[in-house]
Amino acid sequence: MKLGVWKYIFTGLILAAIAVGLGISQSSDQKLHIIACDVGQGDATLITFESTQILIDGGPDLKILDCLGKYIPYWDRTIEAVILTHPQLDHYGGLIEVVGRYEVENLIANSLDSDADAYGQLKKEIMEKGIKVTNPNQDTLVRYGALYLDIVHPSREFIAQNSTFLESTSSDRVLGSYTTRADPNVFSIVAILSFGDFDGLFTGDITPEAIEEIIKSGQLKDVDFIKIPHHGSKNGLTSSLLEVTSPEISVISAGRNNRYGHPHQETLGLLRERNIQILRTDEVGDIEIVTDGKEIIVRGN
Amino acid sequence: MRFVVWALLLGLVFLRILASIPKYKEGQKIRISQKVTSEPVRYSYYQSLNLSGLRVYLPKYPEVLYGDEVLVEGTIEDGKLSDAVLLELRQGTGPLFLLRKKLVNFYESSLPQPFSGLVSGVTLGSKSGLSADFWERLKLTGTAHVVVASGMNVTLVAGFLVGVTCLFLPRRSAIPLAIAGVWGYSLLSGFDAPIIRAAVMGSVTFLAQAAGRLVSAWKALIFSALVMLLFWPSWVFDLGFILSFVATACLLLFEPRVKRFFRFLPEVIKEGFSTSLAAQIGVAPIIFVTFGQFNILSPAVNALVLWTVAPITIIAGVSGIVALIIPTLGRLTIYLVYPLAFWFVKVIEAFS
Repeated sequence: MKLGVWKYIFTGLILAAIAVGLGISQSSDQKLHIIACDVGQGDATLITFESTQILIDGGPDLKILDCLGKYIPYWDRTIEAVILTHPQLDHYGGLIEVVGRYEVENLIANSLDSDADAYGQLKKEIMEKGIKVTNPNQDTLVRYGALYLDIVHPSREFIAQNSTFLESTSSDRVLGSYTTRADPNVFSIVAILSFGDFDGLFTGDITPEAIEEIIKSGQLKDVDFIKIPHHGSKNGLTSSLLEVTSPEISVISAGRNNRYGHPHQETLGLLRERNIQILRTDEVGDIEIVTDGKEIIVRGN
Repeated sequence: MRFVVWALLLGLVFLRILASIPKYKEGQKIRISQKVTSEPVRYSYYQSLNLSGLRVYLPKYPEVLYGDEVLVEGTIEDGKLSDAVLLELRQGTGPLFLLRKKLVNFYESSLPQPFSGLVSGVTLGSKSGLSADFWERLKLTGTAHVVVASGMNVTLVAGFLVGVTCLFLPRRSAIPLAIAGVWGYSLLSGFDAPIIRAAVMGSVTFLAQAAGRLVSAWKALIFSALVMLLFWPSWVFDLGFILSFVATACLLLFEPRVKRFFRFLPEVIKEGFSTSLAAQIGVAPIIFVTFGQFNILSPAVNALVLWTVAPITIIAGVSGIVALIIPTLGRLTIYLVYPLAFWFVKVIEAFS
């Protein structure tokens, strides 16, 4: 009996030691990691720096959880900020699972509402968990240590001109309280991430017309990295955007053999013309970009 | 006398099966109102459940859970209920269903995927939380049986309960408690065919022990098959039911011999290797005919991972119960499961 008890304690201690060892080996390396998660046809980008995680969109379903499990140390259950670029299933579906399983400290959500059932489910989860929600505009600055995230679109004026405020007494508009007849894609949250000398542009599903507006606002600048808008669709990237931002590396998030034919040949052509490196989740799975603020390394899956 | 009892039981089962052959007509529109008695499977854009022997596909939300009560309307088509609409959903309120929900929630919020799915699968037979990619890999390596409501776990829990209660009580009084515990655990872990099979067999063996008699494993196995068919005659065509019995029968037939043959293997993996090899003799042909899948390495993979199942179940079970009382402490002890789950996942990834 005595021996049996000692055996259990000893096994427990060994397991604890291995758990600690694995925990340390997964801990971060003082570099910025941008991971375009392979979530099939959809969008989800994880940004990690030390113990800070920012997730931009969550893809359509549970698949995002595999990516988070792979790139966040197992003991870290907090995601500092989640950004929901716009209320379409291929961008928010997976977030329903994410907010249920992780502690999300801040949710930066598009100000449009949606009456889809799944969106209702997401709103319910967010209310139950009491997550802090912010609707951003061009003045919103998100900062975590050396990590800066500037929101460049949609501006307060853009929202006011293109959508209508929904009067509501109930709390069911926890995410957004505007509605629009226009394509929700034009409201996509667009942001620039800066870390040292590195700049990356995240574009959601932004469309050519909205891109013109953003360029006019004068907030764009030269970047190193771009997430191509709208899964590489024709109704996304424009040559003017590439001219203003002149990125070196581009990532396209699309599903293998998706029925929309994303990415479009024209989009790929625009990138090839300018010798921009193209990385596609439908070809290589998860894509990880690592930078210390100067050098950039790309790791495929 | 005994012969009469067996013959009677067999006759009853036969009648039940005949009477239960479904009388649905193609194209008939029906409504089904019932408690969901097995775990629904979740896909990317829909969920699938089994109601009155019919496969039903519903939109992904609202999520239907094992133990919920549903009212569904649809048209019979080809053994399926097509164009199914969920008219009503009442969440299960039984204490066991709530406990199960809480435990799964605890695993999912404490560990990342695919580890959380593995742990809730192994301890509670909850396959809804498994990631699709990991599930494919489990099937490829012939290890899916570990996370889908496995009878092995019931045996494990039964042994654990008897061991613990025997510390405080004489064996005779420990047995009723253990039987109650086994049935409680069966309900908790989804009440699928393999689990009930193990629970019936375990109860028969325990009762015989309490009565101071020996019962042959074969008798217990056949008895549990007949009892189960008496209650759920449609299971006669259920693959999980068939596989569970074939596997157990193969264990009884071949396991001692296989073990003797591989006596040179180290103790930790010998058990897993010999049980899975013995079970494969019967199971592999059925799987191959049904799914066209067969993995020659399956017994080796099983040998490498099966030894982790007992400690994962015990650590996760105990941590889950601790977490209900002191959440922080439970969160700490569940981390002890991580090295084991990590090993399990890495082995599966390496072989698939």
